[in-house]
Amino acid sequence: MTTATQNCERCESPLETGDLRCSICGQISPADRLLADKLTVQILRCKGCGAATAYDIEHQAPSCTFCDSVVEIETVDDPMEQSAGYLPFTTGQDEARKAMRHWLSSLGWFRPSDLTTTARLEQLKPLWWVGWVFDAESQVSWAADSNAGSRRSAWAPHSGQVNMTFDDILVSASRGLSESEVSAIGPGCDLRSILDQPEGAQNATIEQFDLQRSQARQQIIAAIQNIAARRVEQNEIPGSHFRKTQVSIVLRKLITRRISLPAWVLAYRYKGRLYRMVISGQNTSYVTGTAPYSIVKIILVAMCVVAAFLVVFAVVAAS
Amino acid sequence: MADAASEEIASQVEISCQACGSTLLLDSNLRTTVCPYCASPSVIERPPSANRPAPSFVVGFVVDHDRAAEAVQNWISSTSIFARSDFKQAAPELTRGVYLPAYLYGAVADSSYFAKIGENYTETETYTTTDSKGNTVTRTRTVTKTEYRSLGGEHSTYIVDVVVTASAGVTNVALEAIEPFDLRALRRYEPSFISGWPAEDPSRSKDDCFQLSHDESVAKVEQMLHDFMPGDSHSGLRFETNLTQEVIDLVLLPVWSFAVRYAEDRPPVQILVNGQTGRVGGKVPISAIKVTTAVVIGLTVVGGFVLALASSH
Repeated sequence: MTTATQNCERCESPLETGDLRCSICGQISPADRLLADKLTVQILRCKGCGAATAYDIEHQAPSCTFCDSVVEIETVDDPMEQSAGYLPFTTGQDEARKAMRHWLSSLGWFRPSDLTTTARLEQLKPLWWVGWVFDAESQVSWAADSNAGSRRSAWAPHSGQVNMTFDDILVSASRGLSESEVSAIGPGCDLRSILDQPEGAQNATIEQFDLQRSQARQQIIAAIQNIAARRVEQNEIPGSHFRKTQVSIVLRKLITRRISLPAWVLAYRYKGRLYRMVISGQNTSYVTGTAPYSIVKIILVAMCVVAAFLVVFAVVAAS
Repeated sequence: MADAASEEIASQVEISCQACGSTLLLDSNLRTTVCPYCASPSVIERPPSANRPAPSFVVGFVVDHDRAAEAVQNWISSTSIFARSDFKQAAPELTRGVYLPAYLYGAVADSSYFAKIGENYTETETYTTTDSKGNTVTRTRTVTKTEYRSLGGEHSTYIVDVVVTASAGVTNVALEAIEPFDLRALRRYEPSFISGWPAEDPSRSKDDCFQLSHDESVAKVEQMLHDFMPGDSHSGLRFETNLTQEVIDLVLLPVWSFAVRYAEDRPPVQILVNGQTGRVGGKVPISAIKVTTAVVIGLTVVGGFVLALASSH
């Protein structure tokens, strides 16, 4: 488990065990080595046998040529990410089932009429999927083209700088759920109720982070860039159409939590085919999934439209 | 400052081997030595000073001597056809593998910029031309034009991982030729890490190194700003950068250094090999004779072509 030990002196982001430098701004993490106050000459000796040690390419560490023991040196530690807490399931299987029926009946007229009655639940499985939640302060410099102020070209350039804070932003690390599924059910979770143990469901699949800390940080930074660009488009750039939105971010106080979030994953069968649904484990009104369309109804509507068009055409032609 | 730095660097120090007691004379810019009498590796620690801070980090050797020599040999034989023949045939001599002092620099770069942003648009224009029957006709076509709008603004970013040489024996250009080093393999400096290998102390003043770092940082900012500009094109980018919250740490980098003596009357060429990645860098001596021959052949071909064209008309 990686734990925050202290904060970076420069950007105040927490340093973690094994960080030699701050991953955000590059500031060196404090060392506890004493510096020489006068010229000293030393021969570094093996703690095992007392022979002199020298750096060895094969071990990529100082090692003793006599007894082959290796001297440990503080290196950049890049462990696999581990979940630090679990959000509990607060909805049961029955509620998930009810949410499925309700969702299927709410999809609209273009779906088969017998979808709700014929769809058969094949599987209902609780899943704890993994993600990061971060807080940060930042200064965002942006530049973009928008339609505001345009002259002969459809685009005009704009630029600006704005301070932005990020509170409890959820970034998915899940392999089991797609990006769109996560964005549909993620907001249904209450990020304040983090527990040490998975609670509220039996026989759940517990997803693990399958990437290292350094890759995780890159993903988080990429997510921050995306979120900042979207926010800038919503709130900062004048106009309504944008392109080439560029952001440059100076981050401070980036605090990241690694958590596992609950979801119900359902599979239902309709006329021989399997469809998938995902429901938030904390609020069953956050639902996403796939469902069949009624081909008959779509063809019917298309024919009606064509017929109406022909009638209008005929009327116009007659007049 | 420069005087003090050169004074620190110029002298030699006398140390005594802690294993056999022999007195060794050592260049004062070296951090390590191996006793010639008893082969004991010693590491020398000095009180840090402004121009000679204690190392913070070290990157260990990964590429051994044989691999480095092979990389240099391949590199020499793959140099451009204009390289001197005696250079291509010369055998590289290993001078040494050394932990080279360098500074790892970072800062916050605040820039104000100004540029002309080109936004494209299309216009339909009419033009006259002659058709296949020889009649003059008027036609239309769409052409892409660019209008230039000026854009000024502020840009802030972290600059990280700028590496500049702190050794007077290696220029920053020579170091850049074998960069990048994979800084994920950075280790916290411990004297035992460099034991048995030559390691230098900084021999450039910290002011010089700051200047090199600033220049590299500004070049990085310029690249970032070029990528930052909206529009279909841009021109006339001007910017002014202010570097604040600077951090600079001494790092020891693994470098194999080779010398190639290819002619009696020329100084040997220094070729460096990145001791972590095996990347080779150096300045290739160009053969004046080969270049002249190529130019003469090129001119002859062009001249002959022109003559042939002229005579055919």
